[in-house]
Amino acid sequence: MELFRQTNIDFLRWKWWAIGASWALILIGLLSIKLHNGLKFGIDFAGGTQIALRFRQRPDIDRLRKLLDTGNFGDNGIQRYEAPEKNEVLIRVQQQKKEGRDITAEVLALLRQGLGASADPARLDLNIQGRDNLAARLVAADPDRVAGKPGTNPADTYGRVAELIIAHRSRLAIFQSPADVDGVPGITPAVKDWVKANTTAGPFVLLSAESVGPQVGADLRKTALWATATSILGMLVYIAWRFRSLPFGVGAVVALIHDTLITVGLLSLFGREFNLVVVAAILTLVGYSVNDTVVVYDRIRENQRSPKKEPLETVINRSINQTLSRTVLTSGATMLVVLALFFLGGEVLHTFALTLIIGILIGTYSSIYVAAPIVVIWKNVLGRRKLAAVSPAPAPRPAAPSPAPRPSAPASSPNASPGKRKKHRR
Amino acid sequence: MSKRLRWRVLTILVVVAGIVGGYVATGYAHARKEWIGPGRPPLSEALKRGIKLGLDLRGGIHLVLQVNTADAVKAERDEAVETLRAQAREQGVTLGAFEFPSEASFTIATVSDEKKLDEIARRWLPDWTLGSAGGRASFVLKDAARRATEDNAVSQAIETIRNRVDEFGVAEPLIAREGSDRILVQLPGIDDPKRVKDLIKNTAFLELKLVEKGPSTDKAQLLPPDGKIPADMELIEGKPDPGQRSTNWYLVRKAAAITGRDLKNARPSKGQFGANSVSFYLTAAGAEKFGAFTGANVNRYLAIVLDKRVQSAPVIHERITDQGQINGSFTPEEANDLALVLRAGALPAGLTYLEERTVGPSLGLDSIRKGIAASVAGGLLVFVAVVFYYRRAGWNAVLALILNAILLLGMMSLFNATLTLPGIAGFILTIGMAVDSNVLIFERIREELRAGRAPKTAIENGFSKAFATIIDTHITVIISAIFLLQFGTGPVKGFAVTLMIGLLISVFTAVFVSHTVFELEYGRRQHIDALSI
Repeated sequence: MELFRQTNIDFLRWKWWAIGASWALILIGLLSIKLHNGLKFGIDFAGGTQIALRFRQRPDIDRLRKLLDTGNFGDNGIQRYEAPEKNEVLIRVQQQKKEGRDITAEVLALLRQGLGASADPARLDLNIQGRDNLAARLVAADPDRVAGKPGTNPADTYGRVAELIIAHRSRLAIFQSPADVDGVPGITPAVKDWVKANTTAGPFVLLSAESVGPQVGADLRKTALWATATSILGMLVYIAWRFRSLPFGVGAVVALIHDTLITVGLLSLFGREFNLVVVAAILTLVGYSVNDTVVVYDRIRENQRSPKKEPLETVINRSINQTLSRTVLTSGATMLVVLALFFLGGEVLHTFALTLIIGILIGTYSSIYVAAPIVVIWKNVLGRRKLAAVSPAPAPRPAAPSPAPRPSAPASSPNASPGKRKKHRR
Repeated sequence: MSKRLRWRVLTILVVVAGIVGGYVATGYAHARKEWIGPGRPPLSEALKRGIKLGLDLRGGIHLVLQVNTADAVKAERDEAVETLRAQAREQGVTLGAFEFPSEASFTIATVSDEKKLDEIARRWLPDWTLGSAGGRASFVLKDAARRATEDNAVSQAIETIRNRVDEFGVAEPLIAREGSDRILVQLPGIDDPKRVKDLIKNTAFLELKLVEKGPSTDKAQLLPPDGKIPADMELIEGKPDPGQRSTNWYLVRKAAAITGRDLKNARPSKGQFGANSVSFYLTAAGAEKFGAFTGANVNRYLAIVLDKRVQSAPVIHERITDQGQINGSFTPEEANDLALVLRAGALPAGLTYLEERTVGPSLGLDSIRKGIAASVAGGLLVFVAVVFYYRRAGWNAVLALILNAILLLGMMSLFNATLTLPGIAGFILTIGMAVDSNVLIFERIREELRAGRAPKTAIENGFSKAFATIIDTHITVIISAIFLLQFGTGPVKGFAVTLMIGLLISVFTAVFVSHTVFELEYGRRQHIDALSI
């Protein structure tokens, strides 16, 4: 099967339209950022606390919000997380002015109390306690009477029992009541009875809690910006070196900045949060975008080596056409994979996948319509100037590539010359 | 089969066998550490344990703490002041009032003999710069000494935290210094953030001091008529009792009878009426000091001060030598943890939490399930697309992709790399890159065929012409992965590592393995009429 069979589309004809479209997208993004008062930073960059909880029953968000407001946390937000039938919520609390408060512990205590969970410290809350606390209580109570028996260590024995019980909680999603321990495999009835008599099942399970201080947030913002900037610079250096040509390097980097700006702008437009994982996605997209550009550039360079003297536009157009089927196919295959991530990867990878979906679309477009036209425009403008300055008489083709004559292209394909290849095959 | 081809096949087999073998061996090594049953752990367990999972997949706690090094500098200053006072007294130098403009300096308002002070300072306070003029003296801690003190405080804090974490019994903890004054702590498998945090942050500075007066809720009542705290005494707040509004205050001697450094051991125990308490045991030197002290102060009250709070103040009934008990209204966990931190030693300076991430075990399990589902679905979609588009050659690509996935897992295990959730994303993206390499090659072969080349030549040309492009594309992505590594933070780092290893393997599978398979398929036949591509 073939999608494109020797197409011959004059891509460069529409280059000015494309440049207009690119600017439009960039401006829409920038406008969205402006209207949202800057990027929406997640707690990685802004600092603050974020807690994900899974409830026993469908949580009443308004009630939770009212409870949180009594905690004196300043600005806070609460929203559903994942699919509604999972009963999960995400709570955010802003960076606190007063240092040393353990916000996670305060929020959990406040919610437990407000939702009427047992406050008796003697009864462990099976849904919030970890393995270690449970194991310590079991060792103290010793329902299996293992203490003193030769060859047994109560801490090990009950450590394993506690682990089985907590693993069962993960399987069930949450304990509805202590009686759920009946389903735990591999523990004795004595342990089950002890659990039923001495524990409660609280209203929620703690899925995750993250807290980032203001200093760390500022540090991470700096690192993220620095990493993105240096990686773009690294690309410029590599491409300029690899193609022995500044316009190629500049073209690739302009395409990169173009992709990054549009992606960031669109993320803002979609109301997505900016966090470490998104920056990771953007850096990946930087790699991808250059990857796409390099494939086209490689072809341009190869075609420039042909003895036929052609205008640069023709060479570039032909190169884009020749690589078109590969470009579409690779982007398509990668898109399939990223779509799988988007739909199946869960909440954490959702924005990551979305960033890459935007990035792949824009990156594919930019390697055709940004990176290549810039080389043409650069050479045309520069070429015309040179012509005007040097001599008005017909000069050697100004559009010819930067002086990289065929025999002295060491960085090109090692197997490019047929003679060499034959020798290699022996 | 030509000799060269035979070598290629052999190389591939050796590489694959080596990496897969390495994975299984690592898996066994990891599984054996925690295997309790008889004999060897089963293969399934080894396969599961081959790769270290990050905190986001297996659950656990990630903490970044800052050591308040100013505390340690202040302690250094207080010690210098004590030394100076003692020496001055001995040499008959009268010192006026002390002032403390910063944690690393102090001034003395009047000095009776500047020359003698200079001698004392040179002999006893070599780390301090003395500047004196007109009877005033000022001491400033030298920069090098200050840095050494701060550095020491951080190393000591790391040591103490490690002791505590070890006592707590965490498998594979990571405790490392980050920058000058930060400490990174990663505890996999722990799902009790509050308890661990308290445990680590607890300064656990224990002092036993004689009570002069108290307890009383009214501070003024404890003071002598002039309302000034005597020079060798201090006022300390008591631990608030649950249900009690106002706290008690105690007037105690400044000099401690013994401190946490004199402890040999501590363990939770039952006090009066079965209340939870902590028993401590003293070293020989500590016991001697304590014996003399309690013998001289029978029937007086002894304040047990923990982190500048009076825990309890029992009566000294008789001479006590080598052990004592701390009572208070503890829960069993609190008693346990207090004993633990007393055993593990006190922190040299306070700690502040800068960053804290907890992932519960259920979320980790969910993430793994979703990650695997996305990987399998993404992989299958790509397989179908490639086979549909390239027919027989597509199977060749599928083989390369599967090999790529297997080798990536194996290499991660051999490098002891950690698989994180973004790492799974990196894994999936690697598949995308590997497909790209195959597509580049196949499209080139098609072009060559269209140009009328014979199938065999088309294959050769296709591979050789695509090679440079493949190297270029991989290097660009590897460059971006290197910059990603700049993020020291766990999950993103995991992504970069996975991506980088994956790309290296993708060059091998797409170029070397695919080429060999093509040659195996078509190499022996003299004439090929058509390629299925």
